[in-house]
Amino acid sequence: MVTRTEEEEVNRLENQVENGGGGVWEYLCLVHKLKLRRSDMVLKHGLSILNDSKKRSALGPEEWTLYEQVAVAAMDCQSIDVAKDCIKVLQRKFPGSKRVGRLEAMLLEARGLWSEAENAYSSLLEENPFDQVVHKRRAAMAKAQGNISAAIDWLNKYLDLFMADHEAWRELAEIYVSLQMYKQAAFCYEELILSQPTVPLYHLAYADVIYTLGGLENLQTAKKYYASTIDLTGGKSTRALFGICLCTSAIGQLTKGRSKEDKESSELQSLSAMALEIDFN
Amino acid sequence: MAVHDDVNGSTEKSNSGMDELLTFNAENMQNNMKVIYYSRTFLSIISGAIAGILGFTGLMGFIFYFLVMAITSVALAAKASFSIHSYFNSWNCIIFDGFLGGLMSFVLFWTFAYDIVHIF
Amino acid sequence: MAEDLVLDTAIRDWVLIPLSVVMVLIGVLRYFVSKLMKGSSQVPDPKIVKEGQVIIRARNLRAGANYIPAKSFRARKAYYSNEENGLLHVPKGQAQNPQAQMFSDPNMAMDMMKKNLSMIIPQTLTFAWVNFFFSGFVAAKIPFPLTQRFRAMLQNGIDLSTVDVSYVSSRSWYFLNLFGLRGLFSLILGEENATDDTQRMMQMSGFGMDPSKTLGAEKDGLDIVQHEWALPKFEQRAEAVLRKLVK
Repeated sequence: MVTRTEEEEVNRLENQVENGGGGVWEYLCLVHKLKLRRSDMVLKHGLSILNDSKKRSALGPEEWTLYEQVAVAAMDCQSIDVAKDCIKVLQRKFPGSKRVGRLEAMLLEARGLWSEAENAYSSLLEENPFDQVVHKRRAAMAKAQGNISAAIDWLNKYLDLFMADHEAWRELAEIYVSLQMYKQAAFCYEELILSQPTVPLYHLAYADVIYTLGGLENLQTAKKYYASTIDLTGGKSTRALFGICLCTSAIGQLTKGRSKEDKESSELQSLSAMALEIDFN
Repeated sequence: MAVHDDVNGSTEKSNSGMDELLTFNAENMQNNMKVIYYSRTFLSIISGAIAGILGFTGLMGFIFYFLVMAITSVALAAKASFSIHSYFNSWNCIIFDGFLGGLMSFVLFWTFAYDIVHIF
Repeated sequence: MAEDLVLDTAIRDWVLIPLSVVMVLIGVLRYFVSKLMKGSSQVPDPKIVKEGQVIIRARNLRAGANYIPAKSFRARKAYYSNEENGLLHVPKGQAQNPQAQMFSDPNMAMDMMKKNLSMIIPQTLTFAWVNFFFSGFVAAKIPFPLTQRFRAMLQNGIDLSTVDVSYVSSRSWYFLNLFGLRGLFSLILGEENATDDTQRMMQMSGFGMDPSKTLGAEKDGLDIVQHEWALPKFEQRAEAVLRKLVK
């Protein structure tokens, strides 16, 4: 997760870099470290370093990681030629490297040559079955082709081995939500909450899924998770506030006549409604 | 003391708004512990050198060490604005963590400085 | 015995200070060497990778149990620790002892050897070097009195029973440095100080850890976890938050 201070730092550096100030390398390092996807910026400024032989050699061994970073960014921006050049340089430097092999496979993928890329990835996995990036690429590729069920298969296979990888769980959860398989998605979000209990985003998404599933018990659970989201965000999540209102009214409809615990819950609802009003004013 | 405060400045709020329930962001918590450990080690080395240069011997030196550590504990607690439970598991980690490890460094630097200044 | 020994300043210049400086430098050197050696990685055993991941996930479950509904918790608990095919359940016969496992896998033994050698060799070399150059010096005096029992520890290498115990021989000064510099290393070398000798020495006797044992321990831990859903409390807290916000 990217914290707020880190994000501010990135934005500050990005501004500085955009306006011609120094700190390009620091910016690229930070983007790399935080795994941000700002490919256009990385491509533009990374190339400016790589094209300047003096700046490039000043990086020392970091030069090659920059080549890799720029290559990936270029693929993301569909600048296939730039990516090809970068990979060629890396190939000359590290012949037979698996990491470069991975880049080549990604290049095939970027050019839309799915079956070739698939073959390349499989052969990479044969050599090293624990290459998490390749596993993930494969799932992402299936998703890019629109082959969602294959993507789910790959992700499940991957999670069977690397079951502590919460990013993969999140991806799987989102895919399940898009397919309206809410029970499975709920499981994935539970897993995410377990691994990071203080991230309000997962509480919110879990509440959404549970609410969509419906049923009295689920609705009550969903309300609780909306409440925890409010608590974790300090009441700044409009979606959670809205969710509370929806849940309460839905519960009220289901339990019409049988009023047992509506006293305290209605207070939560009125409070969130008031907070919403303040937000909208 | 300046460096110590500087190091300590990176202490992050580990669990905003969750101070009653004991839940911690493990990463931030670890970071806090690390900061404590660093400031302790740093202070034990520095205080060892000071004790040696001032020529404390025997019990005096150890009293000096305890004093410094006590001050550190208070300073750390003050840095966490005395709401320990929003940053750490318990008071113990602020008071005792790195105490014995620091003692070893303290003795070494105490001896070293004392010998160089006073014995020869 | 009471009178103070007069130590030559040359001892300070040529024994005490060089010894300490060399200890620091060797520590730094070893840090970088071990960093270099760590670079080469080999393909790990899939079973071990998976077990590690299972343990992380089970630990997460234990830590965050109160954040998921009771039903989900029970389902997960059963998934991990049921007696037939739970992930954390280790069949009795399968729990081979690590020693046998080590002999069956020479690669592992090799690795262990390499790790230990990288620790032992520089240690013995420095020790031999200290012995060779600096044996027999009374190098320092600790500034606090100690009882006779410490004589063997502090005056290693000089056989004088009349010297006050607080005088330290050069060899013992080496040992003092070995233990006391750990703090300094962690300061100057950053977080992952690879020079944590004393802890590694302890681990060596255990000879690595046994994954099936950690699995079992995790299972026991999971068995005794009481599930107490934390979410109902959050409703009140959300109310409090909102009340503050609305005001």
